[in-house]
Amino acid sequence: MKYWKIIWRNVTRNRRRTLLTILSIAFSLLLVTFLRTLVITLGQPNPAPASVRRVAVRRLTSLQERMPESYRQKLERVPHVQLVTAIDWFGGIYREPSNFFANFALDHDRIFDIFPEITLNEGAKQAWMSQRTAAICGAKLAERFGWKVGDRITLLGSIYPVDLDFTLVGIYTNVADERSFYFRRDYLEEMLGRPGKAGVWYLLCDSADSVPAVISTVDAMFRNTDAETLSETERAFEATFTQMIGNVKGLVLSISSVVVFMILLITGNTMAMNIRERSHEIAVLKSLGFQNESLVGMLLGESTIIAMSGGLIGVLGAKLLFMTVDLSELSMGFIRSFQVELPTIALGLTIALLVGLASGAFPALSVTRLTVSDGLRRIG
Amino acid sequence: MAIPLKYNLRNLFVRKVSTTMTVLSIGLVVAVFVALMALGSGIEKTFTSSGDPRNLIVLRKSSQVEGNSAVTKAEFQIVRYLPGIEPAPHGAPLISPEVIVLLNIARRDGTGMSNVTVRGVGQDAFALRPYLRIVRGRVFRPGFREMIVSNNVANRFAGLRLDGRVRFGKGDWNIVGLFEAGGTSFDSEIWTDNDELVNEFDRQGYSSILIRSVDPKAQLELIKQIGADRRMQLEALSEREYYNKQTLAGAGIKALATLMTLFMGVGACFAAMNTMYAAVSNRTREIGTLRALGFSRGSILLSFLIEAVLLALVGGGIGSLLALSVNGISTGSANFVTFTEVTYNFRVTFPLVVSALALSGFLGVLGGFFPARAAAKKPIIDALRSA
Repeated sequence: MKYWKIIWRNVTRNRRRTLLTILSIAFSLLLVTFLRTLVITLGQPNPAPASVRRVAVRRLTSLQERMPESYRQKLERVPHVQLVTAIDWFGGIYREPSNFFANFALDHDRIFDIFPEITLNEGAKQAWMSQRTAAICGAKLAERFGWKVGDRITLLGSIYPVDLDFTLVGIYTNVADERSFYFRRDYLEEMLGRPGKAGVWYLLCDSADSVPAVISTVDAMFRNTDAETLSETERAFEATFTQMIGNVKGLVLSISSVVVFMILLITGNTMAMNIRERSHEIAVLKSLGFQNESLVGMLLGESTIIAMSGGLIGVLGAKLLFMTVDLSELSMGFIRSFQVELPTIALGLTIALLVGLASGAFPALSVTRLTVSDGLRRIG
Repeated sequence: MAIPLKYNLRNLFVRKVSTTMTVLSIGLVVAVFVALMALGSGIEKTFTSSGDPRNLIVLRKSSQVEGNSAVTKAEFQIVRYLPGIEPAPHGAPLISPEVIVLLNIARRDGTGMSNVTVRGVGQDAFALRPYLRIVRGRVFRPGFREMIVSNNVANRFAGLRLDGRVRFGKGDWNIVGLFEAGGTSFDSEIWTDNDELVNEFDRQGYSSILIRSVDPKAQLELIKQIGADRRMQLEALSEREYYNKQTLAGAGIKALATLMTLFMGVGACFAAMNTMYAAVSNRTREIGTLRALGFSRGSILLSFLIEAVLLALVGGGIGSLLALSVNGISTGSANFVTFTEVTYNFRVTFPLVVSALALSGFLGVLGGFFPARAAAKKPIIDALRSA
């Protein structure tokens, strides 16, 4: 790079302009990074190793409808199924509807086998097994409401016509989620007068390979009954909730392309202004014998430096921003963890590089077209 | 004494490329802002326009939404004979016990499954919602496993078409009609007979009751009476209020719109600043001349500021026009309050366009102020001397 010095001089010639351009690219690429991370995050699978062995079974009609308790024995007899638990979304309200968090009733004697990632100390486990009104919650949920072990918590039933009083016996940790509240299903059943219905069945299969067979066996078993089922891998089941939002990918892709086009315009404008103001100088360089290729190279070098600086600031800014702002907390756990990952950083920088090269293209064309006499004559 | 607008306008045309690029970048910000806000207000409009102020909806206490609510048949019999309910043409009270079942079904566009509200209604349901009309086919007959589907739902979900069949509950149902409901949230629903649906899903009773009160005074009385009746665990609220609570569904998209506008706005504002600084430095001599002719610093400042605002407003206009192309496009998303799909249209409204122009004007002022001040501060002698 023998022209390095002249490129650098050109970059720093109009510092204010360079800085403003870099900052507008930075802000825009921060946005692109955020959007890209959002799309990736929403599709993130459950990181727990046992997740690939779990199958969720629900009513074909919709999650709102429930299945007979008698399904349990039938499900337990399906080959490759090791354990079965019922899970009911209680939808309870803690004081105010705005205090929303996920709360589930499930079989207390199976939970730690089917969800081994839920870790709880032995004392808490014993209390959970012996007290009917026991409840456990994730560390982040406990932190949100300042709950301690031993606290009495009341949830008002929104779906079920019962309000339930619980004793918090433990606070669990879990790589996948620490914002849920679990309690014993036998307590809910008792309070409801044992309707004998379950919302979702969770099955633990002996291996990930047997999951497809289990899914087809289960759905075939209940076909043409009064309560047909839809079985899915846990991953697919969880994905249905984000799918409900709709075409997030399409929205994000269209906004991102608009943003990229905008930075292209902004950088292009800066480069066009730079070249216009320097036409005299360029003519002098040409008359000294500089070839078009070298002049264009210098120009592209300049635009790339500007765009890449903006890109770096934007992408790293996004990384830092989301290390401090916890979007997972803000979305109440709907977003599992929001972190800008390496491929996203690479994508942002690639966009910056391409913008740098593309934005120099039109000004470069005018440089090659400029004749020495025109350039020397032109003012401003 | 001010510098004529024409001067600024002409100046914009001198530097065509810069002007165009700046105008376009502001235009893009405005376009994204308008399009996203149009999406948000489309959702909100769906809910604010739903619900008749004369109607009351009766739900189980603390159930929040119809889908969670349950009303027993005994409770229905009590509510039915409360005083203050408007009589229907057939003489009995105007009342519709309704049951909500969600149907999980795949969208046509391949973006996955969502829940559609299936509403089982009583015979007065159509009188209680006179804006709902059948556009093709006919109304369902109770007892024949027939349903009617809103046009929006039929367009958005796979396998829901007139004369088609859909698997639901214990077997297949026939779709015998398509309806429209004037842009309300009923445009996102499927309707059928209430008792048939209760039997199909082995329910003990209904989800909610819709009644028409004779007048506002009777309405207040009914709300009080239903809430206080110890025989029932029910509460009543105006149908309008019920749907207004769900406008929250548009909040997420509006937050996204604000975030986008903020970040893109900063970028575009800096671009405008660059363009204006360049304009100022190119015209240093001109500024000196104007000052020598007697124009004050204030006039120069105002003049450049006006130029920046003009630039931005043209961008705002172009952006609004670009965004207008999405107006009326039908789309949908989940309403996480009810856990069901709501279909709605992008709505580019007049106030939205006005606020978009205000936004672009604001960007212009932000981007133009510092360059304009720099122009006004230039000493006359130096300005005249500069190349």
